[in-house]
Amino acid sequence: MEPDTQNIPTLRHILNEFDQCADLSHRRFPELSADIVYFPHTVDNNLLIQEILRPFDRLQADGLDKLFLQSQFVETRESKAVVVGILEGCVAVFHGEAVYLLDAYGQEGRSVQQSETETVIAGPHDAFVESAPTNLSLIRRRIKSSHLKIIQCEIGEISKTTVYILYIKDIANLKYVRDLQNRINRIETDAINDGGTLTQFIEDMPNSVFPQFLTTERPDVAVSKLAAGRIITIVDNSPTAISAPSSFFEFFSSPDDYYQRWALGTGLRLLRFLALVITISFTAMYVSVTTFHYEMIPEALLRTLAESRNRVPFPPVYEALLMEIMIELLREAGARLPTKIGQTIGIVGGIVIGQAAVQAGLTSNVLIIAVASSAIASFVIPSYMMSASIRLIRFGIIILTGIWGNIGLVMGIALIVIHLSNLTSLGSSYLTPIAPMKTGDWKDVFIRAPFSKLNSRPSQSKTMNSIRQKNKK
Amino acid sequence: MHRQNYCMARLFLILLLLPPLLLTGCKSDERILEKLGLVQTASYDLAENNRIKVTSCVPVIDPNSSVRRELLSTVSDSIKEAGIMFSRQTDLTVVSGQLRDALFGLKLAKAGLGDYIDTLLRDPSIALGVKVTIINGDAGEILAKEYKPHTDTGRYINHLLEKEAAGNSIPNTTLYEFSRDYNDDGIDPVAPIVRDSGDKAVIDGIALFQEDRYRMKIPAQDGIFFGLFRDDLRQGEVALHLGEEAGRPAVVMFSSLLNSRKVKVHRLGADRFKVELLANIQGSVLEYTGHHSLNKAGIRQQLERDIADVIMAKAKEMVLQMQQHNVDSLGIGIQVRNSLSYKEWNQMNWREVYPQVEIACKAKVTIKDYGKYM
Repeated sequence: MEPDTQNIPTLRHILNEFDQCADLSHRRFPELSADIVYFPHTVDNNLLIQEILRPFDRLQADGLDKLFLQSQFVETRESKAVVVGILEGCVAVFHGEAVYLLDAYGQEGRSVQQSETETVIAGPHDAFVESAPTNLSLIRRRIKSSHLKIIQCEIGEISKTTVYILYIKDIANLKYVRDLQNRINRIETDAINDGGTLTQFIEDMPNSVFPQFLTTERPDVAVSKLAAGRIITIVDNSPTAISAPSSFFEFFSSPDDYYQRWALGTGLRLLRFLALVITISFTAMYVSVTTFHYEMIPEALLRTLAESRNRVPFPPVYEALLMEIMIELLREAGARLPTKIGQTIGIVGGIVIGQAAVQAGLTSNVLIIAVASSAIASFVIPSYMMSASIRLIRFGIIILTGIWGNIGLVMGIALIVIHLSNLTSLGSSYLTPIAPMKTGDWKDVFIRAPFSKLNSRPSQSKTMNSIRQKNKK
Repeated sequence: MHRQNYCMARLFLILLLLPPLLLTGCKSDERILEKLGLVQTASYDLAENNRIKVTSCVPVIDPNSSVRRELLSTVSDSIKEAGIMFSRQTDLTVVSGQLRDALFGLKLAKAGLGDYIDTLLRDPSIALGVKVTIINGDAGEILAKEYKPHTDTGRYINHLLEKEAAGNSIPNTTLYEFSRDYNDDGIDPVAPIVRDSGDKAVIDGIALFQEDRYRMKIPAQDGIFFGLFRDDLRQGEVALHLGEEAGRPAVVMFSSLLNSRKVKVHRLGADRFKVELLANIQGSVLEYTGHHSLNKAGIRQQLERDIADVIMAKAKEMVLQMQQHNVDSLGIGIQVRNSLSYKEWNQMNWREVYPQVEIACKAKVTIKDYGKYM
């Protein structure tokens, strides 16, 4: 076995390589002394007919050499390249000694649809799909500029997943691009199935509960991030695009904020930060007040609260944890089940939690209001990743308040703030624009100022071209 | 990589430390709501041998119970000792963090409230916003009585005081205000008085203290005049009798009061002062039973002067009484103190000087509007 003979791509050798691959298609054209080898399901049938079958039908054996001069036929001299080519959706044409690869990759998958996880009321409704070329086309259609650069990488020893790094030249900071590229190239794993998985390989601190890169399914969001000087990563076979670097507060903005009038957008943003506070502290507050700080209860609420607690046999912490776990069970069951059964879960859960638990004396109805409002508030946060993280840390805070009351609550919030300030996203501070303090960014982070005021790109993208628009007076 | 290891190590540390914390907890600090006897109103009376009778009103939170409140009563030497005795009477932990109203019997108020106020202030769970109220009679009795349809007398009195204080006819006296005025130089504390009138509890007036001892009372209907000269007001109403006109009483109902008080101090001699109290009052006339037409500017100005005269006469009488009882409830001492150096003030015995101070009460009345009709 000499390497030389192995490297020459012969039909026999290639067929040998794809031994026991039942889905491989091998067609002979004896009169032309040609063979074609391909995977039918990765190849576009129309292209195959148009580029190979029809010309082959028309041509004689000697005309074939002329056909292969056309640029779509790439002559390949390496066996390995041929194998990879066939796997990636090329048709390998064997003619005499020569082997040609014709790229006839056919897309498989659903058409562009609405996003299920990131819905908006106004604005574009298309979302990324599993096919990266489609996703790239969705972005290219929106940014008609040669400055949109796309770097292609490959990860996964087995899966050989293609990953595209998108950035806009002269806006994005090349340091970030290089850093991201290095991180992606450093990954050594067998297979990556989704953008969500990829982020965990390239995050600054993978053990944190908080997502350090914003993921989105929406091309309009991806484009706005690109224009802001951030970098988008698209993984083939995944509808999830990754935006980097990201800040904590970015997870609280929704594209809707920009499609509606600015006053509405501002109101919604503030509402979401209120939702963050409610999610983290509402149930915890209930626990601390009923366990330790009865002094804090307003006179008008005292009797209601005490009466509702009267029949409950557990201390408030256990009561609260019980209900919180119930809600999470319901949510998870609802998420995993098909929509039709999911409704049943909603009704059953509504009855069990809303009515029966109170009547049975397992929980107090004030707690149900607290738990429900903190659950609802958690769904207000537009990013599913962030809302899941916050729901998780809520449990920690409830336990802390069960031990130390309000001191525990404050400690929990302090721990979260300490942790958040420790986090970085591609080396930039996760808490931008609070730390480092960039008050200029606030008008596009905490509120959504009118467009006439949004003149500069976010400081976090460290762009050298920070002017976004010029106001003509 | 180093950072990740550090993070993991910290995670382990937290996981290691959490279980012992959960196991030990702070069980003794726990105050689980439904296991508490939340004292909302407490009353204190002077009993025999200088002991005090303490009555606490605790809401019964069982919705199935027909009784809405539970009364705990005991005679002891101190307020806190009474608390210990209460816990022997009930299955609940008696706590005072929800205290809203402290009622003091008149006898106790005459003997001096200083020590009891001090005890209440010392307890960190008791808020500074607890109301201090004097009961004309036995405070424990009024608290124990049921005023139909109110199920909880404590709350009834509390809301009554709150509402009246909002209209400034009585001062809103809290622990904070009482102790501030008690400890401050040149002002004496005041508190509302409530009395039992059979089927209702009614506001009796304003109790004026010298230091911590009750001295005199201003009747309820004159409360607003006291208020006008004690502080700036943002709200209030007053009905004034302007004598008789053509055989029937002329009454002006003066509402939506705005008052700004000014004080001028003139030093006449070594220990002699003249103090001018100036109340600048604005308001709307909502009722006028006199015969003049109010849409004439001249008539209105005359009415303004008449109203001011009535107010000044009331105030003069009130100030005279206060000087007789030697209670400086209007805080004239503070104004005098502010006009003097610290040394001069310290050398002066304000209690001796105060009755001789010439106090002139002046009122300036402006009618903002006089209703919509005519």
